[in-house]
Parts: sequence; C-alpha cells; structure tokens
Amino acid sequence: GSGGGGKGKRSWLPTLHVVRHGSKAVTRHWKPMHLERQKLMAVTEYIPPKPAIPERCLKPLVKKIEEETGYERLVRRQAVEAFRESRMITVCQYNSLSNDDMLMLRHQLRKHNIHVKFFPNEIIIPFLLESKYVNLLPLFVGRNIVLVSPETKAKEMLRMLKRVPQIVLLGACIENTILSKEGVVKFSKLPSLEVAQGEMVGTLSLVASQTSSLLCRSSLHLTALLDQYVKQQSNGTGETNVQAEMGPAESSQGV
Amino acid sequence: MAGFVPPNKAGVVLKQVKSILVQFCPFEANVEATRKFLECLYAKKAVASSVGCEVKTDVRHDGSEPVVDIVFADGDRLIMKGANLTTKEMLLAFNSRCAVKELKEQEKTQKNT
Repeated sequence: GSGGGGKGKRSWLPTLHVVRHGSKAVTRHWKPMHLERQKLMAVTEYIPPKPAIPERCLKPLVKKIEEETGYERLVRRQAVEAFRESRMITVCQYNSLSNDDMLMLRHQLRKHNIHVKFFPNEIIIPFLLESKYVNLLPLFVGRNIVLVSPETKAKEMLRMLKRVPQIVLLGACIENTILSKEGVVKFSKLPSLEVAQGEMVGTLSLVASQTSSLLCRSSLHLTALLDQYVKQQSNGTGETNVQAEMGPAESSQGV
Repeated sequence: MAGFVPPNKAGVVLKQVKSILVQFCPFEANVEATRKFLECLYAKKAVASSVGCEVKTDVRHDGSEPVVDIVFADGDRLIMKGANLTTKEMLLAFNSRCAVKELKEQEKTQKNT
C-alpha cells in the first residue's frame, strides 16, 4: 500500500499508522523499547558529576554523640551515692541464678545491711574512670553485681556467698583499700577493733609489767642481773663506770 | 569484640562431664573469654543437663593465666588456657568433645540392648 507500512520503513504518514502484532504502546507486560528509542535513552543517560577526590575521603567521620537519657542519669546518680556512702564495696561475677535463690541471697545479705546492686557496664565504667576506684575497672567485664554496705561484715558476707557458687567474688574495696579475694578472706579473719586494741594495750604494757615484776622481786636477784649487764657492756664497749650496787629496790606497786 | 554469645544459646551440655575447675585472676586483662565461658557453664540448660557435675571457681591474684580444667566422665581431661582464646573457640572445643563422647555412649547403649 501507499504510505504507512510496517516496521523498518523510514517514511510514515501520521494519519496511517499501522502497528504490527496489534500491541499497544502501554502494555501490562514488559515491552522492549524500540531500537531507536533504546539508543536515544542510552545516549542521553544522566552522568552525575564526579569530583576528583570523593567526598568520603575528605570529610572526617562524625560520630553521633547520643544524649544521655534521664534513666541513665538516674542510674549514675544511684551509683555515685552507693559508692560514696558505703565502706565496703564488693564486686562479684553474676552467673544465672534462679529467682528464688537470688531472692534468698538478697534477703540474707539484707539482714546484715548489705545491699545488692546491679549497674549496667556502660554507666559504671565511665563513672569508675573518673573516680578514685579506677583500679577496680578491670573487674567490670561481663555481668557483675556490686554488694555495698555501710558496715564491713566481711565474714558474714563470705559465708553467704559460699552457699551460692554462681556468684563469684572477684574483688572488693573495704575502707578505701582495694583487696583481692584472698585479701577479703584475710580481712574477715582479723579480730574486731576492740579485740585488736586490747591486744595492743596488752603488748605495750607487757614491757612495763615485766620491769615492775623484776623490781618487786628480791634485790639480790636484781643486783646479780645488773652485774651481768655491766659485764656485757664492758665487754662490748670496754669502758663503763656504772655502779654495780644499788640500794634495795623500791617496792613499786601498780602496773 | 569477637561475637557476643548469650549464655543460653551456648549449647553447653554437662552430661559427660565430671568436674570443671576454672582458675583466673580477675584483675588481669586477658580473662574476658574465660569469664564468659564460666557464665555459659551456669546457664539454665547446662545446669539442667548436668548429672552431678561440680563447677569450681578459683579466684587468684598472682598474675597467672586463666585456665579451665575439665575432667570428663570417662577420665579424659581437657585443659584450656584462655589467655589468648575467644569464648567461641573454647565453647567449640568443649562442645565438640562432648558430642563425640555422647555419640560413643549412645553406641554403647545400642550395642548392649
């Protein structure tokens, strides 16, 4: 026919536009573009401008500083308070414990005024870095609990913890002294303050009481002892003019 | 940080184990893997599967390396020095040996019956 035509014909009349295969321009399946159109699309594709050095290399990586939530601030405040008010701080590793056992342990410790506290590592580690407890830092790996107490009842605490093998005592800070587990055990075996003071007084007064008992005994004994002492001195130094004789010893009474 | 293993998913089965001794020095820097391994040993499933297995922990302060000493029910011993191991490696070594022993025991019981 005249004009119009199938595919491949260069000239076409707009009025007579016969399309082969009866397919329309807009189809529901994928229809490949006409070759000329494909070529045109390929030639006119958008090429974005590329800088010589990509931006990624120039800009320093900016880490987002997340703001502290109110909860974190609360927990940190609690940690600060707990550390400030307690004389004994014990760090233990917390392995899974049944709820009943944990409750029993908390109850037993509470009887001796020992509180079981749990702080998340992200909060406690920066806090420790800035405080004087820096040397406790290596203990805080994995799950830990902190036992704080205003008193220092180490013996009772050790007894409770012995019954619960899942809680492993790692270290403690008692009266501002950092102790290892052996240190805590030794501390628990120390006698109480009153007993220690009594022992000290006893030792100091031992010397004085020995002297007084010496003097209270017979003067002959005393003179013999002093003779011997003089001989020892003269052997050692070679010149002494100490009187070997002394009058009868005064009977000094009292301690 | 080479992969965090939650203790429940560690798949520790203590059936073939007679006793475990874990020694470490908590103030040292290389104990993380050993401590995590210890945590896995006390997981619920592990405790449920154990048949009178004792897990002892020895906390020292002498700068020694962390050691895990495991004695199996058939007398074998596994010693793991955890200073340069990760938790996953320790779990793999332990679990694989346990699985082998479990298989052997199953075969024995099948032969008997």
